[in-house]
Amino acid sequence: MIHRSWTVREDILELFRSIGRASMTYDIQDSHSGNMAIRLLDASGGDQIIITATGSQKGDLDPSQICVLSATETDYGYYKASSETDIHQRILSIEGVRASIHAHTKDLTIATLDDADKPNRPPDFVPIDPLGFHHLGDHVHVDWIAVPSGSPEMADLIPKRLADHPATVIQAHGTFARGRTLKEAFFLQCVANNAGAVIRAAKTLDVNVEELRRRMKADAGAFFAYPPVPYAVEGDEFSEFPEESEILKEFHKTGARVFESWLSPFHTGSMSVRGVSDLLYAPKASMPRDVGGPLLKVPLRPDSSDPPELALHKTIYAETDFQTVMHCYLPEAEAYAHFRYPGEDAPADRIVPIDAEGSFLYLVIPVVPPKTDAETLIRLLHDYKLVVVRGGGVWSVGSQSLSEVLHHPSSLREICLYRIGAFEQGLDLRKMEPKKAKKW
Amino acid sequence: MPEPLYGFHGRYLEIDLTRGESRVRPLAAGLIADYLGGRGLATRLFYDAVDPLVDPLGPENVFVIAASPLIGTNAPTAGRGHMVFKSPLTGVIGTSNSGGTWGAAFKATGYDAVLVKGRAPSPVFIDITPERTEIVPADRLWGLDAHQTTDALTADVESGVRPKVLCIGPAGENLVRIAAVVNDRNRVYGRCGPGAVWGSKNLKAIRVAGKAKIQVHDKERYQSGYDQALYLMKQAPVTKRLLRELGTSGLVELINVINMLPHRNFQDSLHVEENLEAISGERLAKTLLERAGGCFLCPIGCQRHTRIESEDGTSEKGEGPEYETVVMMGAVCDIYDLEAITRANYRCNELGLDTMSFGGTVACAMELFESGRLRPEEAGGLDLRFGNAALLEPLARETAVRRGAGALIAEGSFRLAERCGRPDLSMSVKRLEIPGYDPRASFTQALGYMTSPSGACHLRGGYAVSLAFFGGTKEIPRFSLLQSPLSVRAMQNKGILQDSLGVCRFTGFAFDVGPWARMMTGVTGLDFSEARLEEIANRIATLERLFNVEAGVSVEDDLLPPRFSEIPIVVAGEERVVSRDAQERMRRDYYIVRGWDADGRPTESTLRELGIRRGRS
Repeated sequence: MIHRSWTVREDILELFRSIGRASMTYDIQDSHSGNMAIRLLDASGGDQIIITATGSQKGDLDPSQICVLSATETDYGYYKASSETDIHQRILSIEGVRASIHAHTKDLTIATLDDADKPNRPPDFVPIDPLGFHHLGDHVHVDWIAVPSGSPEMADLIPKRLADHPATVIQAHGTFARGRTLKEAFFLQCVANNAGAVIRAAKTLDVNVEELRRRMKADAGAFFAYPPVPYAVEGDEFSEFPEESEILKEFHKTGARVFESWLSPFHTGSMSVRGVSDLLYAPKASMPRDVGGPLLKVPLRPDSSDPPELALHKTIYAETDFQTVMHCYLPEAEAYAHFRYPGEDAPADRIVPIDAEGSFLYLVIPVVPPKTDAETLIRLLHDYKLVVVRGGGVWSVGSQSLSEVLHHPSSLREICLYRIGAFEQGLDLRKMEPKKAKKW
Repeated sequence: MPEPLYGFHGRYLEIDLTRGESRVRPLAAGLIADYLGGRGLATRLFYDAVDPLVDPLGPENVFVIAASPLIGTNAPTAGRGHMVFKSPLTGVIGTSNSGGTWGAAFKATGYDAVLVKGRAPSPVFIDITPERTEIVPADRLWGLDAHQTTDALTADVESGVRPKVLCIGPAGENLVRIAAVVNDRNRVYGRCGPGAVWGSKNLKAIRVAGKAKIQVHDKERYQSGYDQALYLMKQAPVTKRLLRELGTSGLVELINVINMLPHRNFQDSLHVEENLEAISGERLAKTLLERAGGCFLCPIGCQRHTRIESEDGTSEKGEGPEYETVVMMGAVCDIYDLEAITRANYRCNELGLDTMSFGGTVACAMELFESGRLRPEEAGGLDLRFGNAALLEPLARETAVRRGAGALIAEGSFRLAERCGRPDLSMSVKRLEIPGYDPRASFTQALGYMTSPSGACHLRGGYAVSLAFFGGTKEIPRFSLLQSPLSVRAMQNKGILQDSLGVCRFTGFAFDVGPWARMMTGVTGLDFSEARLEEIANRIATLERLFNVEAGVSVEDDLLPPRFSEIPIVVAGEERVVSRDAQERMRRDYYIVRGWDADGRPTESTLRELGIRRGRS
């Protein structure tokens, strides 16, 4: 047995604490639910699992609630560790996997409930949003298990599910996700919950989700805009413009707000501030305050190797005088992009605010098809400041600041929530829309 | 049948004072589409008519005043006029804007602009109505102040529409380089010395009266922009309450809190709190303020209608002071006497003087005097030390008639400091006095002063302070070298559009150009999308620069005085300067984003892209 102490490295402790707090902010845990684990080699080469203690509050982890166990044998660390340590231990044995998280992803959990007689094999969850599709795959397994918490059945099944899928759902319980890092596992949990949120909102709006799934299956390329960039596990510490201390602070502040206000799941979306020859770029716009993400300084001129996301930032700057750009994946807007007014065949090409502030800030917000060309998108951004791309997130622009560009999706979220709420109550949206919006 | 015109009359007046002639010229819709109106239209007409190397006080100089297509609608604040000329103070383009009601009254004469050139052999005023334009002898008016002139030109009207008067006072007649042109008694085209240009032409006033109306192309679209604008103005604290209750001088304490309020000719930014309270907007509201007022169609109401009660039981009424006046005649001169400042403000309005350049030049004179560079005998016996509030009012009178020390002040701070062998003590850019925001406290403000086409103007240079501290969602970093060039361009462009639309700068506290774009499109039926407005703003900025370059402006003119790179002030606990390196880097980047070359000259490709024709037509 390897002798070890309860003391974990300061950076590991901080990582667990920050992800724990972020999971509370994103509301994918209750006060005590879930667990997080990583696997690493200690200084002497010992193969370790670091895991949260059973019953620990993930939003307030003490050093004593981070347990250090052997990855290969039973030791005294298991006394205090999570009741689902067995499951994590097996997940962490999968090739390339160094982290795992179990979370109570409520939106996804609700979206995968059924009332079938048990036992049964529930249908797979099929995301209709671009993040879910590209990061989780075209389906996520959903399993009903008789003892759905810490049971041997779970320890047997879940690692098998995760061997070829990044996340899996235990019906009426929550999600397990694995990653190369704890941040990646958390990213997948957030993306998974977001996918559930999109489905929930779409169903509330009477969107024919099954039809969308059929269309997506038939031609996913046409169903979505360009694919989001794969999750990068390295480079979060990059900060390439420390001399611009005020802008740096704005990036951190704005990134935190994007995450905390549910404007885009963890480490998704992007935002930038333009300089004369460079742009300051955050490729993971949704950044909890104490987790952060890479902050890059890249040339403004286009480069053929630019990923589509960055290329679009550059194109917007090349064609306009805007100084800030943001792209995020707002679940309510993603769902709303598929909304059809009762009796109409095609999805609406605009979102008309029905709330007081929204209707004066934006008479309408355009919704465009996934393959809309950059020229059209930029023209609309010029006139409306934010545009929803069906299957491609929300783009917004600002004339000056990150604060300004943040306000657009934040307002949009409220606008969508009010409309969804009104629809849910059976109210006539057409009647509630300001007349003047019809001309725009 | 001719195509109906929407939003504009399709004609402008060209008046040649040398010949004593006026002509009605057609105004093509294309000019409105490319330059909007106001500042943009005036700049284009001016550029086409003037040799950039002309003597600003010679008959060859021209001034143009233009209205915008929004004037004549009920668009909030749309009643402002804009004047463009070659400045006798700076030698570069003079561009000045005024509120009140004159701009709206002018548009009601049935013209979109008036261009005046030449020199009358003796004093005249111009009388414009829809039916006729007359050049009328004005010997009886010469020597009267602006209030007297206004009264004289409105008193003899027997019936019909009450005319509005735009005129100069004695300062303009005496070619004082910081002379203003005054309308509605107390509204002024203040900066860059337009009053001297009028004086050099023997032009005392332009009187206008009429009922000409414009047509609106798409009322529903116009209304949607109008509704949004009004809603946002009612919502924003600055436009709904602050400016009405405190006036612009309500900024005094705030600007001090952020360490940006200049002191003693910009030697530092340190003030005694009690002193500042004595000249604050709050104090003004509790003491001298009789009522707030507003310009044409203005829901904001920032005007200060004030009254000073004297110990002998007499009182006098007037307007002001505004923030800039309080700071430039007050804090910058180390003077914290609100009554003295207000009285001097009254005199400046009457005499036709720019209170900002007057204050800045007095502060410069004070520093020269205290350092021994300006001898007491040159100062005409005045005690020109900092803090001497008693000299403000008499010095304004002397400046207007170029007497005693006033003859020195009349030339502006740069010529005064140069005469005393210390041009570095003139706190000016392109010889225009720097307003009441210390550039060391904001790179954006600094670059705005450096690149403003008319010299150090906080409005033409981009009202950066509003972004840095009360810009709402648009607040930007104060010390970002990276963002400042783009922010300055954005703010300057916004200002260009407001000036060209004939609307108030303060609407910008509530909204950007979006509602204006809808209103303009609705009024004219032309495409005024935001993208198009952005292009228009870039076009106007580059045309102004082209004139300046042709007038001899070089990169060296786009720098701050050495004080701002050498002597730090403390901002939020840190010593701050705008180093020469920082200035040069921001200037270089600003040129790039404007499409100008390394010498600040608009490139041929930029001119081509913006559709700017070089040279006179």
